[in-house]
Amino acid sequence: MLDRSIIHLNVTDFAVAVERLQDSSLKRMPIIVAPQQAARALVYDMSEEAYGDGVRKGMRLDRARRYCRRARILMPRHKLYRKAMGALVSKVIHYTPLLEQGEEDGHLFMDVTGTHRLFGPAPDIAWRLRKQVLKELGLDPVWSLASNKLVSKVASRMVRPLGEYIVGAGEEAEFLAPLPLSLLPGLSCKEVGLLRDFNLERIGQLAQLNREQLAVPFRGRGEYLYDASRGQDRTPVLPGGTADTKFSREYHFEGDVVEQRELQGVLTSLVHEIGRQLRQEGKVGQRIGVSLTYSDGRVAVRQATQAGGTDNDFHLRQLALTALSRAWQRRIRIRSCVLACDRLLPRSRQQTLFVLRSCRELQQEKMVTAMDAVCARFGSGSLRLGTAL
Amino acid sequence: MSEVVEQKRGVVERKDTLCPVLIGTSGYSYTEWVDSGFYPRGTRAPQMLPLYADAFPIVELNYTWYQMIRAEAISRMIAKAPDSFLFAAKLTRTLTHERDRDWRQELKQYREGIKPLQRQLAAILIQLPPNFERTRNNRYYLAQLLDGLQGFPLAVEFRHVSWAKDSVFAELQRRQVTLVTVDGPSLPGLFPCLDIVTNPSFFFVRFHGRNCQGWKSGNMQKKFDYSYSAEELQEWNGRYLSSLRSQANRGMLFFNNHVRAQAPENAALLREIL
Repeated sequence: MLDRSIIHLNVTDFAVAVERLQDSSLKRMPIIVAPQQAARALVYDMSEEAYGDGVRKGMRLDRARRYCRRARILMPRHKLYRKAMGALVSKVIHYTPLLEQGEEDGHLFMDVTGTHRLFGPAPDIAWRLRKQVLKELGLDPVWSLASNKLVSKVASRMVRPLGEYIVGAGEEAEFLAPLPLSLLPGLSCKEVGLLRDFNLERIGQLAQLNREQLAVPFRGRGEYLYDASRGQDRTPVLPGGTADTKFSREYHFEGDVVEQRELQGVLTSLVHEIGRQLRQEGKVGQRIGVSLTYSDGRVAVRQATQAGGTDNDFHLRQLALTALSRAWQRRIRIRSCVLACDRLLPRSRQQTLFVLRSCRELQQEKMVTAMDAVCARFGSGSLRLGTAL
Repeated sequence: MSEVVEQKRGVVERKDTLCPVLIGTSGYSYTEWVDSGFYPRGTRAPQMLPLYADAFPIVELNYTWYQMIRAEAISRMIAKAPDSFLFAAKLTRTLTHERDRDWRQELKQYREGIKPLQRQLAAILIQLPPNFERTRNNRYYLAQLLDGLQGFPLAVEFRHVSWAKDSVFAELQRRQVTLVTVDGPSLPGLFPCLDIVTNPSFFFVRFHGRNCQGWKSGNMQKKFDYSYSAEELQEWNGRYLSSLRSQANRGMLFFNNHVRAQAPENAALLREIL
């Protein structure tokens, strides 16, 4: 089997890097990107300087401010980041169609296996790309090269914020062995903590355990840990998005809420946005997840699924409400909620042969189509279901 | 018997006054060398170095130009090669082509990273970019770089013609640093092919191929797509190599025309000619 050549390009602190391109006076200044108008805003991104002071992604802004008082706070400009991401992709796409990108985070995986006759050896492609991106976009990505996505991602983490790392094919396990467990992608804090309880600190120590030993504390996750600790990852580079592509929307309440109707209204609005995105991209979602953050900081996540998937707002709303009722089990106020739609499938254009849809379903479909047409003309928020108000 | 084996691996030694030479290629880990038949079908990257070492006694490490050399990676690599096998390591690009980082820190890292190789290190190749002209600043930088690498066997490859000066050769001689002899396309502005030996310990030759059109394409597959004919190599031997061999104690010759495995093919051809 041909060894794969996977390049991972990563513009570290992407939002900050893009903001600095817009305003050069921000260079070398500690920057925190966070929505300031929300009462309990969370850090979206931060510069290396702010990171050095202890600021982390997802941290509450008031806390981050205490850690880094000299930081300049900027509002996130998602459109700008998406545009910059598009520009980055446009440079890379010439080298391979097998390109997997994050939403607006400066991460790209490229599978350049078999392109050597066109573009030369893979390290040369990565080097030239970095040079091109720096020259033409002003962004300076870290690059790494390995035989799979997992190892290339770890290699990037090793050298960030600047640099490059090549891990030769066959050297994956040796490369990972001395590294701390926290560098292994996909491990939760809880799992790292559990491994520490077993006195395991390094990836190489984890790799010494066999499948049966790992299955005892980790059950189904044992298989992943077994492969990952040995640097084995067969997941393909998926063009068009990340392997775990999902559409998600987040809402932070200005004040904590306890009213069911208010929460359902917000969820309906989020359903509209996700439903529209699904229809625009010709996809259907099979699972809707609702994540609630309670005012005491605890998070509850529950899902509801529909086999075959749907892109209809009415169906999506039903799934979201089911997931909500499963998630909201405590009599505690809600601070924020996230609606996510995943297990996406391409939408089939073929009509069903035998199962006839009810009049109501047909009406709903027509209504959604009409709403999309209005929103396309007058803006996404111009028309909503009454339940969203 | 050992002489026959050594001949097969590319060590060519004459009984007269000419010094022995080691012939190899610039890099060894190319997937297309499997397609082209140099490596057996199905050869995977980890198996390439042992197979290469069966054919040649020395290799020029290219990947050390792309990324900072790391001791642990070097240790893993040399474990795959026989003890007698030699490496010439390129200096990292952050010390030659892209000097936008703290070069002193980079140099320190390089010196640390190359430590495991020391016993099998034939030379450190300092390849300077075509836009590295002989200016006051560049002369000063090169002098500092050579000072910083003191103690290592060094070879300097100039790409810009402005360095073809007697004073440069005299300084390299004073420092016992090898001037790299380059065979490339005859284009204006490029450093010429010279049979000057500035360090009697060893001379260092790089055959880039003579693809004039591909040279400035920015695409390695075009730049190094060239195959030397037996006549060209014979002529080169007569015109330059004999002279170089009579001035030094050892020679290293590397073919950089890696496209479609022309480099190992040409290296084997030159070995035959010698």
